[in-house]
Amino acid sequence: MLMMKAGVLRPARLVSLRKLNLDSISNGKDGVLVVGAMTTLRELERSAAVKEGWPVITRALRTLSNVRVRNVATVGGALAHADPHMDLPPLLSALGARATIAGPQGERSAPIESLYAGYLENTLRRGELITHIEIPPLGKRRAAYLKCTTRSADDWPALGMAVVLDGGEARIWVSAATDKPTRLLAAEKILKGQITDEKALRQAGAAAAEEVHIESDLHGSADYKKQLIRVYLARAVHEARNAVH
Amino acid sequence: MKRATQSTETPQVGRSVPRLESWLKVTGRAEYVHNLRLPGMLYGKIFRSSVAHGRIKRIDVSAARALGGVHSVMTGEDVRRLVPDPYYGPAFHDQPVLALDKVRYVGEPVAVVLASDPHVAEEATHLIVAEYEALPAVYDEVAAMTSKAIVHDVLKPAGTFPDLKHFKGRTDTNVALDFHLRRGDAKKALAGAHRVFEHRFRTQQVMHTPLEPLVSVAESTETSLTLHTASQSPSFVRSEVARLLGWPENRVRVRVPYMGGGFGAKLYIKLEALVAVLSLLTRRAVKISLTMEEQFFTITKHASTFRIKSGVSADGRIVARECEVWWNGGAYADIGPRITQKSGFTAPGPYDIDNVLIDSYALYTNLPPAGALRGFGIPQLVWAYESHTDMMARALGIDPVEFRRRNLLRDGRPQATGTVMRDAAIEKVLERVAVLLDWKNPFDRGSGALRRGRGIAVGFKACVSPTTSLAAVNVNADGSCIVYCSTTDMGQGSDTAMAQIAGEVLNMAAESVTVVHSDTDVTPYDMATLGSRSLFHMGNAVKLAAEDAKKKLDQLRNELGLPADAEIPDIFKRKYGMQAGNVVGTGSYVPTYKSPDENGLTDSATPFWMVGGTGVELEVDTETGRVRITRLVNVADVGTPINPRIVETQLSGASIMQLGFTLHEKMQFDADGQLRNASLAEYKIPGLLDIPQEIVNEAVVAEQKTGPFGAKGVGETGTFSVSPAIANAIEDAVGVRLTSLPMTPEAVFMQLQESK
Amino acid sequence: MRREIRFRLNGEAVSAQVAPHETLVELLQEGFGLYGARESCGQGLCGCCTVLVDGRAVSGCLYLASLVEDSDVRTIEDGGELDAVQQAFIEASGFQCGFCTPGFVLMTRQLLDEIPDPSEDDIKHYLSGNLCRCGAYPEIIAAVKLAARKRKGV
Ligand SMILES: Cc1cc2nc3c(=O)[nH]c(=O)nc-3n(C[C@H](O)[C@H](O)[C@H](O)COP(=O)(O)OP(=O)(O)OC[C@H]3O[C@@H](n4cnc5c(N)ncnc54)[C@H](O)[C@@H]3O)c2cc1C
Ligand code: FES
Ligand code: FES
Repeated sequence: MLMMKAGVLRPARLVSLRKLNLDSISNGKDGVLVVGAMTTLRELERSAAVKEGWPVITRALRTLSNVRVRNVATVGGALAHADPHMDLPPLLSALGARATIAGPQGERSAPIESLYAGYLENTLRRGELITHIEIPPLGKRRAAYLKCTTRSADDWPALGMAVVLDGGEARIWVSAATDKPTRLLAAEKILKGQITDEKALRQAGAAAAEEVHIESDLHGSADYKKQLIRVYLARAVHEARNAVH
Repeated sequence: MKRATQSTETPQVGRSVPRLESWLKVTGRAEYVHNLRLPGMLYGKIFRSSVAHGRIKRIDVSAARALGGVHSVMTGEDVRRLVPDPYYGPAFHDQPVLALDKVRYVGEPVAVVLASDPHVAEEATHLIVAEYEALPAVYDEVAAMTSKAIVHDVLKPAGTFPDLKHFKGRTDTNVALDFHLRRGDAKKALAGAHRVFEHRFRTQQVMHTPLEPLVSVAESTETSLTLHTASQSPSFVRSEVARLLGWPENRVRVRVPYMGGGFGAKLYIKLEALVAVLSLLTRRAVKISLTMEEQFFTITKHASTFRIKSGVSADGRIVARECEVWWNGGAYADIGPRITQKSGFTAPGPYDIDNVLIDSYALYTNLPPAGALRGFGIPQLVWAYESHTDMMARALGIDPVEFRRRNLLRDGRPQATGTVMRDAAIEKVLERVAVLLDWKNPFDRGSGALRRGRGIAVGFKACVSPTTSLAAVNVNADGSCIVYCSTTDMGQGSDTAMAQIAGEVLNMAAESVTVVHSDTDVTPYDMATLGSRSLFHMGNAVKLAAEDAKKKLDQLRNELGLPADAEIPDIFKRKYGMQAGNVVGTGSYVPTYKSPDENGLTDSATPFWMVGGTGVELEVDTETGRVRITRLVNVADVGTPINPRIVETQLSGASIMQLGFTLHEKMQFDADGQLRNASLAEYKIPGLLDIPQEIVNEAVVAEQKTGPFGAKGVGETGTFSVSPAIANAIEDAVGVRLTSLPMTPEAVFMQLQESK
Repeated sequence: MRREIRFRLNGEAVSAQVAPHETLVELLQEGFGLYGARESCGQGLCGCCTVLVDGRAVSGCLYLASLVEDSDVRTIEDGGELDAVQQAFIEASGFQCGFCTPGFVLMTRQLLDEIPDPSEDDIKHYLSGNLCRCGAYPEIIAAVKLAARKRKGV
């Protein structure tokens, strides 16, 4: 819609998915949460099931754009748009969520992270639609999502950092500073079994800043965003450790 | 809403009357030009230059013209058919209604498409093709002093201002005004000073972003033109449009309803000349509403560079100061030359300094034009001199408040121009800020990554002069009262204040007084609503008009043999035998003023001084550079507040706006002069989550003896000192000094890295 | 390519011819002379264009007019007497130029429907998508708190 307004897109036809009945949130097998792609972000935010089982999502949604946008924007749109500044892709990737995609060739399931090819580029094929996402239960895992804005507080993030801790292991995803949600494997390796170690956290931050490619933009220079990654990695791990869930 | 006429003995002045238009605003019914639709109206959409500086080789509008639904497409040459010399501007006649021969910045209006459907007009602008021969461009104000890139081939001063006359016909220069002030002998005193400090400061280009974007509508007949426009200066619009058309002023009517913010963006000519010409060319009503994005290509605030040098004696007294200021005016001078001079002469700050030298330059560059923005250049100056003051105090090992105390300009002492200070409570303001910050006592400095600091700053401003305001106050036969004035209410609450002033004189509840909105066919002349001048100038005019009406009523009572306390309706009934007739009082106010001499000196530089001080407590995250303001204290000398509540909200609102200019707002240009963030998505203004934890606003007990009921202006005061107070607090917290705005987290962090 | 849609506007059944690209703000202004929802940023950021569709606040500048078919649309012009929120905005000086005010009033009503006794943090987050260039934020926060008290009848 924003791109239509700006004249970037001038579509001849608009397809509304509103009447497809894809707007429910339900419990699937093994504690998996199944969210219809047409569920609005606001419905997701206010869902008692989400708040109970995945409070990190509820918290992240609170600072995701604003109430009016969340009232209208859908989970499918928020995932398909592939703007790296969006908050849900890194978070849902870190949580190990998957998307169910329907297309002319039938249905397939894919990890959220596999939806992204690059800046504003998704991997959906012609005629494909996201119909649902499935979010595995948090279980004993602890999760945090930190968003760093560098201009006003309501800005799009300069950095989004999602951390999910599973015992002594961390799964860490970064976005906004990178051109698509990116897993910080080198940092994860350093942190293995050491998530409470301050020195390891510093090393992991440094490794994270080196393992991703970052461009300067209006949110900040590449150097500065690397510093944010260093700092936010440790902060996000701390927050996840302290997450009450 | 029915408002009864109430006669009252209770004071109207000093009472926090809710805004008269409250009901209209909370129900969405307030009239903005935005709402206006006229029969047969065409919408204009502007095609803009894509190069920063170039000769126009060709504009091909054929495809746009051919698009179904397009009424017409106009370029500068079409304008020239109607107006042979279509250049306007308050200081220079430098700005064409639509670009002619040359374009001078990216985003300059080049052509307009007209259509009944704005979407069609918009679409057609994408079909226009323009070719330019690129010329070298200049963007930096200091570089513009010596650049080979010349923005205007020949300078054309408007003729209104004596200090611009000598610019007529000048070529090969980008200087649109050079103001020089010499008092005492600064060079000699600097040579003899105990310590000398020199610093350089920068401010960035920012935009007003009123939430109601600029909008104007014109309708015309063979011999008359009516403009409905979101303008802070209806009288100027009338005379300037009449001049362009070669018409007498009585054929041009300018109406201004409420405005959704102005902050200086809506002054002088913006869209008015364009819609006027389009309406006359098409014989249709024409409306142009800018988008938020287009506002950035219309008017902005000056970026500036300020070199400041001070000599200090062994006992910590400032004995000499040199100020060199360069103002980046963009491609058209707008009111920049006035800012250069009228604010330029306060560049040494509110300090008592015997030897002063000021050089202040207005420069043309190839950026969007800059004009007045809530402070008329003052925030740029205070930023520099109050940062400099703190840096000196620290270097000298003197407490910053104490250092200021030692040097403060006190009542009865001459300011840089030689004008003796009167009714300027600089000392009181400084002391109240210090008290509210609890400056004497130790302060929690934080720990770990979070470090805390506090800072203080005080600035002042001379109100522009000489300017004129006229008003009329009409008392109807039933005793109700109407005020006619051309002050425009853009949110500052002038309607309410004027009603209070008239009500005070006539013993009527302000709520029962009606204020007629600017309509040059109806309301008398006023210079403009700018520079915090209206409450003082128009307030005085309204007071005089109300007093005149009262006097006439008293005379009537006398003539008709009625007792002195006879009710107003009884006067008219006695005179006309029925409820008929009315009494009109008039008032006109022009303060005394004397132009500066060749040394920039005068003993009457301004009708009044405004003083604003700010204290800040903040927290710096040393790992990210993020600054969080925990407490913001704004103290001002506003004379005696007419409406204390409105005064408080003006101070608070101005300081929040200045927070944006201090911490993150910045127009970002690439190497070719293209603006990269012309939207609120990329140009971020403060939101609810950005405001300080606590804001304290206070008006010191003061009186402006020449003001209406002791009052003076306040609209800008809250902006003056915010930026330097924050820079001073950052240094207090983490020991680094920032000398450029905005102080983004990144800027703070990089400075911290450098200092390691 | 215009199409007729029917919907309820401030309680009345209405119909309109809408083009596919037309936004809800344009429809309200051009079709119904309602100017309380107004476009400013045009990007969903400022809330000047707030409209309630089926009881949910949306940005009228980004909401396609054709989507309100069969919906219940309410604007700031709905209703007669001033409600608690409007009174509170007047009493607490929650506006200056007033351009942002209808949006703040409508969003505040939504907020108080959901959270009758909001904390300062709730208020700031809920209204973070509404901008006020006049900077009336402190007074707006005070107005919301006052409105909450008024609604509870204290
Ligand atoms: C002012 C503003 C601020 C914002 N700030 C943030 C922010 O801070 N963080 C953040 O994460 N987001 C932010 N957003 C984005 C917002 O949250 C939405 O995610 C975004 O608008 C897209 O959602 P939508 O449902 O409106 O998608 P649409 O605009 O309807 O669709 C977006 C794209 O996805 C495609 N699409 C939609 N649904 C599907 C589907 N089911 N299957 C396949 N393709 C589909 C569409 O064809 C289109 O190409 C902001 C938006 C605005 C307007
Ligand atoms: S105009 Fe719609 S949100 Fe700003
Ligand atoms: S009151 Fe002017 S924008 Fe909010």
